[in-house]
Amino acid sequence: MSDLFVHTFAQMGTVVSMQIVGHGTSQRARRDRTRGINRAVAWFERIEAVCSRFAAHSELRQLSTRVGMAVPVSPLLFEAVQFALAVADETHGAFDPTVGHRMEARGFNREYRSGDVVQSRIDAPDDVSYRDVELDVGARTITLHRPLLLDLGAVAKGLAVDMAARELAPFVNFAVDAGGDVFLGGHNAEGGTWTVGIRHPRDATQMLETLQISERAVCTSGDYARHVPGQVAAHHIMQPLTGASTTTVASVTVVATSAMIADAFATAAFVLGPVDGLALLERHELRGMIVTPALERVATTGFADA
Amino acid sequence: MKSSSATSASTRTGKRGSSNLVALGSATVLAVYAAGFMRTQVAASRFADESAVRRSAPNARVSAATSTTVAPAKPVEVSAGFTPTVAKAAPVTKSTTRKDIKGAVDIVTQSAKSASSAMTVVSTPATAPPPPIASAPATVAAQLPPAVQAPAPAPSPAPLSAAAAPIPLGPPYRDGMFFGRGTSRHGDIEAMVEIKDGRIISASISQCLTRYSCSWIAALPPQVVARQSPDVDYVSGATQSANAFYYAVAEALSRSK
Repeated sequence: MSDLFVHTFAQMGTVVSMQIVGHGTSQRARRDRTRGINRAVAWFERIEAVCSRFAAHSELRQLSTRVGMAVPVSPLLFEAVQFALAVADETHGAFDPTVGHRMEARGFNREYRSGDVVQSRIDAPDDVSYRDVELDVGARTITLHRPLLLDLGAVAKGLAVDMAARELAPFVNFAVDAGGDVFLGGHNAEGGTWTVGIRHPRDATQMLETLQISERAVCTSGDYARHVPGQVAAHHIMQPLTGASTTTVASVTVVATSAMIADAFATAAFVLGPVDGLALLERHELRGMIVTPALERVATTGFADA
Repeated sequence: MKSSSATSASTRTGKRGSSNLVALGSATVLAVYAAGFMRTQVAASRFADESAVRRSAPNARVSAATSTTVAPAKPVEVSAGFTPTVAKAAPVTKSTTRKDIKGAVDIVTQSAKSASSAMTVVSTPATAPPPPIASAPATVAAQLPPAVQAPAPAPSPAPLSAAAAPIPLGPPYRDGMFFGRGTSRHGDIEAMVEIKDGRIISASISQCLTRYSCSWIAALPPQVVARQSPDVDYVSGATQSANAFYYAVAEALSRSK
């Protein structure tokens, strides 16, 4: 007899799906299972409410209305921004969370549920960068030295997956899947290792590779997602310095202990390109694979190892 | 004076490079969880206790089919990500053999798609939520390699009667959480849908009591949310379970009227 609970909902511009294997035999177990799922869902809602670039009342948007002063922020926002800035620093700005206004200008400005165009009306100078953001670790404040709109897209969704995974950890065997960011715990409903397929970047029905994963997160960033309507070559991962979409990479897949780490590194490696991107992953001892538009693959040593 | 935060972050964690960023990331995850854990305890009881709502329909299959006026479409040999041959081989295998099947995966990792076009998580091409009945088989067929261009189209009702039939795509749903049950000869599946502002905001397999693994149909609930409809793909090798899920969702939705 199979026993699997699957819960799916729309959040953060994607469809999130969570699975818990087992725990369905008694009323009490099923109640605990439902509660665990509820807590996990609550994390997604909370993180979106804080980190959304699209909701005018989000803490992130509120922060961007206050330039030049130290703003006390929630631990969630502080930690997320701190990590994003650390990645920006490490990649010398290849990854940069201050691209929000440029994303808007490029047409990534639709709220995913309503489809409404969102304009933050932030008049950011063309050359703003992560260096215009200052954190005070002691006072837990964030200071924006110039007008800018933060975009925590590459961090927030992964963080939500990580939080959900923590809530589901007591159930041992579970999966969290948020459109590209997945975390797999224990084993699947058949008692086997979770198998994660990496999508072919040019053919949604084909898989490039499959990985056996347990207690790890996997993230794939690809140029095939989130196109700007009417612009063939524009996708959602852009060079912070030039504002153009990267064209040397079709997709990057990273395996890590955390979905937030995997997503941030996948995004950074995407922008850096096959050579520097791979070097970044190697330097941080992360497993990853980069696929070029010509479908050449470069992977870190031991990428396919379970 | 204008010290970048990133610098302070790396200063705090000592020297830069190597696994420090990974360590910082792990610390971030821990800190966020610690700060927000209490808050999620409140959320735990958000959903009504399932037993309070669940009521098994005497014959879910018939009642669902009647109430929605949708004849079950003919099983189409398709499952995103599975090759047809593989899928054919799948049906009655013992669970342990599953991982040997080439191409069978639990989850596909790919970039999130923009919600405006499609929110499907598994490898379905971007399609707008299909109109209720008539075009569903076409949507499926479009994903097929030519060789498996599928069997007969669904014995679906004429479009006009379909218009009158209650499989609404939006506002007609009443807000709330609704359960439905679908039966197959391999066992029952209970589905839950949550409606907010007339839209399906979540879909679940809340109980899977089939003899065969529910993993095969784990990819279906996301389709319900993405398409705003119970018209999920057919999963070859698990047609019975997929149909049972369809009926369960249809029944749940029929209760939200």
